[in-house]
Amino acid sequence: MGDITLTINDAPVTGQDGMTILEVARENGVDIPTMCYLKELSPIGACRLCVVEVEGSRNLVGSCHTPITEGMVIQTHSPRVVTARRMVVELMMANHPDNCLVCDAANQCELRQVAADLDVGLPSFKLKKHYYPIEDISPYLVRDLGKCILCQRCIRACDEIAKQKVFNLAYRGFDCKVIVDLDQPVDKEVCRDCDVCVSVCPTVALRKPKKQGEEKKGPPLILSQ
Amino acid sequence: MAGKVESQELDLTKLDKILSRYEGQDDALISVLQGVQAEFGWVPQGAIEHIADAFQISPGEVYGVLTFYEQFYLTPRGRNTIRVCRGTACHVRGTNANLRTVERTLGIKEGGTTNDFKFSLETVACLGTCFLAPVMMVNRNYYGKLTPDKVETILKQYD
Amino acid sequence: MGKIRTADELDSLRQSIIEKLDPNKTCVRICMTGCRAYGAEEIRDAFDEEIKRKGLEDKVEIRETGCHGFCARAPVVVIDPQDIFYQQITADDVVDIVDKTLIEGDIVDRLVYVDPVTGGKIPFAHDVPFYKEQTKNVLRNCGIIDPTNISHYIARDGYAALSKVLTNMTPEQVIEAVERSGLRGRGGAGFPTGRKWRLARAAAGDTKYLVCNGDEGDPGAFMDRAVLEGDPHSVLEGMLIAAYAIGTKVGYVYVRAEYPIAVEHIKIAISQAEEVGLLGKNILGSKLSFEIRIKEGAGAFVCGEETALLMSIEGKRGMPRPRPPFPSESGLWGKPTNNNNVETYANITSIILNGADWYSRIGTETSKGTKIFALAGKTNNTGLVEVPIGIPVRKAIFDIGGGIPDGRKFKAVQMGGPSGGCVPEAHLDLPIDYGSLEAIGSIMGSGGMIVMDETTCAVDIARYFLSFTQSESCGKCTPCRFGSKVMLDTLTRITQGQGVEGDLELLESLAQQIKDTSLCQLGSTCPNPVLSTIKYFRDEYEAHIKEKRCPAAVCDALCSYYILPDKCQGCMICLRACPSEAIEGGKRMVHIINQGKCIKCGTCLSVCPARFSAVAKVSGEHVPTLEEPIPVSTVTKGG
Repeated sequence: MGDITLTINDAPVTGQDGMTILEVARENGVDIPTMCYLKELSPIGACRLCVVEVEGSRNLVGSCHTPITEGMVIQTHSPRVVTARRMVVELMMANHPDNCLVCDAANQCELRQVAADLDVGLPSFKLKKHYYPIEDISPYLVRDLGKCILCQRCIRACDEIAKQKVFNLAYRGFDCKVIVDLDQPVDKEVCRDCDVCVSVCPTVALRKPKKQGEEKKGPPLILSQ
Repeated sequence: MAGKVESQELDLTKLDKILSRYEGQDDALISVLQGVQAEFGWVPQGAIEHIADAFQISPGEVYGVLTFYEQFYLTPRGRNTIRVCRGTACHVRGTNANLRTVERTLGIKEGGTTNDFKFSLETVACLGTCFLAPVMMVNRNYYGKLTPDKVETILKQYD
Repeated sequence: MGKIRTADELDSLRQSIIEKLDPNKTCVRICMTGCRAYGAEEIRDAFDEEIKRKGLEDKVEIRETGCHGFCARAPVVVIDPQDIFYQQITADDVVDIVDKTLIEGDIVDRLVYVDPVTGGKIPFAHDVPFYKEQTKNVLRNCGIIDPTNISHYIARDGYAALSKVLTNMTPEQVIEAVERSGLRGRGGAGFPTGRKWRLARAAAGDTKYLVCNGDEGDPGAFMDRAVLEGDPHSVLEGMLIAAYAIGTKVGYVYVRAEYPIAVEHIKIAISQAEEVGLLGKNILGSKLSFEIRIKEGAGAFVCGEETALLMSIEGKRGMPRPRPPFPSESGLWGKPTNNNNVETYANITSIILNGADWYSRIGTETSKGTKIFALAGKTNNTGLVEVPIGIPVRKAIFDIGGGIPDGRKFKAVQMGGPSGGCVPEAHLDLPIDYGSLEAIGSIMGSGGMIVMDETTCAVDIARYFLSFTQSESCGKCTPCRFGSKVMLDTLTRITQGQGVEGDLELLESLAQQIKDTSLCQLGSTCPNPVLSTIKYFRDEYEAHIKEKRCPAAVCDALCSYYILPDKCQGCMICLRACPSEAIEGGKRMVHIINQGKCIKCGTCLSVCPARFSAVAKVSGEHVPTLEEPIPVSTVTKGG
């Protein structure tokens, strides 16, 4: 387990055998945006936001799952990389509901944040949106799958941290969806009040139910719903 | 016949027999589901829960596998399965006209089943019989070099 | 047949099988795989019956074989020892064949292949141009032996390569031979097979797995199907040799469920090999123990991608995972796993028996050996061809494929299916090898060659391929799940006449980003057909977008149908078939299509009898229309 030297954005850096590009980059103060990645969870390389350019590699590579090798030469913010990242975010936004303005999580939403960071405005193309009914019958959990970006954090967190397997991926391709049971709404039978999934959801596809008395804290800025 | 298919009670002994063929094989979920599909013609909900128990996984995981692969059906199927090939060779030789003829004749769309459970209609990516293009299969029989009028004649042969 | 315990026993078994074979015995070889769709079973039954009736059971062998390759002429039979080739026969022809050929030794003239160029009759298979130009190495047994009979395989040097490896070669020497042969993976990516084996051998751990990828999913490709159906033991033997070289005890063969005969034949082959001890413990008295399990696919194209394939073998959703780690380090259940395609394994025996030098003399500098291609689409001789890598595209399509039917003009050939790109006319003399094809935006791929003529629309074909990959996307990564959908929607709009300025640029930019960012090969190659058709047929895209015209007259929304007055016989077939009652006319009256009512479904065109061919489909042209139906007799009939 020795040191590995590599180059990130023209600067020589060192990492340990087994580390990923993302880990080394972050250790050295280089910020690569991520979405499906979470330090506590196993990487799956699904969102493709963390792609970087590696010399000798035909395509961009996912930095969250690619281990470093000796002599690697990496560009994390080259025009090619930034263009690609913007397209990834633009695609996510194109499929996302248009209601950021009235969305509870606008200020904490990681998707909105990364879109702002990358200067992604309104999508330049049309993409069908997924409309799913809001699931709000469980006392612990509200699911709004229209806002799901399929990062699979909830699936992994429930499995790897909470040691439950409430969520699964079902269907395929454009119709892919995170399901509970045999694609039923979340109810109190399946889920206990552990909140792990809620805390990892980058949007508010998963959230806690609002309690009546707490709903309005002062006059609302915008009259919603 | 239609009623019989719908009200069919899940025969657990048949299901257990399929499960016992793969006992101790953790990798056999897809094979078991294929066995169920072959036995019942579709995968009933009761079977999903039973299979999940046998593999000690959640029903959701079984459901995830079922909905990933095109071969599996969660609703009863017709007695005869029509598979219209949409491979490249068939596409350039006009398979779409044949597909439309089937849809029009039977009044169902791709993925549908006729009300009398006589036919289910599927399209497949490629049957690997490109020299016969355009092709369709009814059950295990191939029909090649099809034209819309040939399609109508073929459909009449089944009941 | 008892257990074969040593290499010597295998040799003497082979000798005794060969001695019992009479090379002069009449043998009727019927293709019982692809030709089944054309009634090969009825033909076999007719032969059985007729031969019984004539009392010829001892003199004639009826042999059910795999694919003969010349599928355009199905059903085919070949009669040995003369090598007489009969094509497009029916059960009714069988009596004649038995009487004239099997009994009298004459040739049944009307069943013989006629050269479309010279018009001359060619009675013998070895003289037919389609066969003459091929080099059969992997397909050497296909169409010759009964694939369900292990002694046929053994008689033709079957398992001799395994026996040579087990008695005379170290695993290191085997890998070296495969490396020196220059064999590259036949699944499409072209990774050097020897190097792959070396990586798997070097990987840490005692438990390793071997996988044979038979999930041939490219629409328009059926090479692996033919090999699995027609010569399954050659795949098993290749796997056994790999198992010895790499050091594995368990192998999996993953076969598409859409290939029932392939599944059946490989199952039979495995149980026969187990019965004689060629699979199992201490094979041929050596230390090699190996078992093979079968996994049937369940309908997901993405499972051809190796990491998805492994997930599927484990019984899970076939979703790819990032590489590295590569399967050679961490594959099935996290153990080192070597994965090769069916055709790759089927190449191994010839390398071992004839030597790496022999093998590397076939092909080009960087691409060695032969490759099987599935010729399909708008070509006369559709079927399976095996040729040395590096022959010009033109030779495959025109000399072997017999050119384009109906005197039409060649447009392009799609290589590598939905992951590949097209080769247009300007590049027809390009050698078929990995590097040359990649340089022009196409790929070697797994071997599908779809020939397109002037009546194929470049935009429609790009849309077709993308609709395929889009519907087969697993959904895991963003660019493939969403990007392919945006591209497909854009192409659909263009083919429907709703293309707008900027669509081409959008397609090109999305294509580039999807290629660059997708997690697996399905995603990163799915834009290829779009990019390559834009590259070579940009004017066609522009015609669709700017002029709302489909130059090949394919895209329905951009086309109109009309009836040619000089051809119409007033038969009323189209009138009755029209679903929107848009056709006016009567018995013996020239019909007219009411353009306002026409829904452009094309039914009239497909039902109009070929001898009349009175329906025309045009795009971007003025549609001449009669005021009202007139009697057929008043129209001057043209050619």
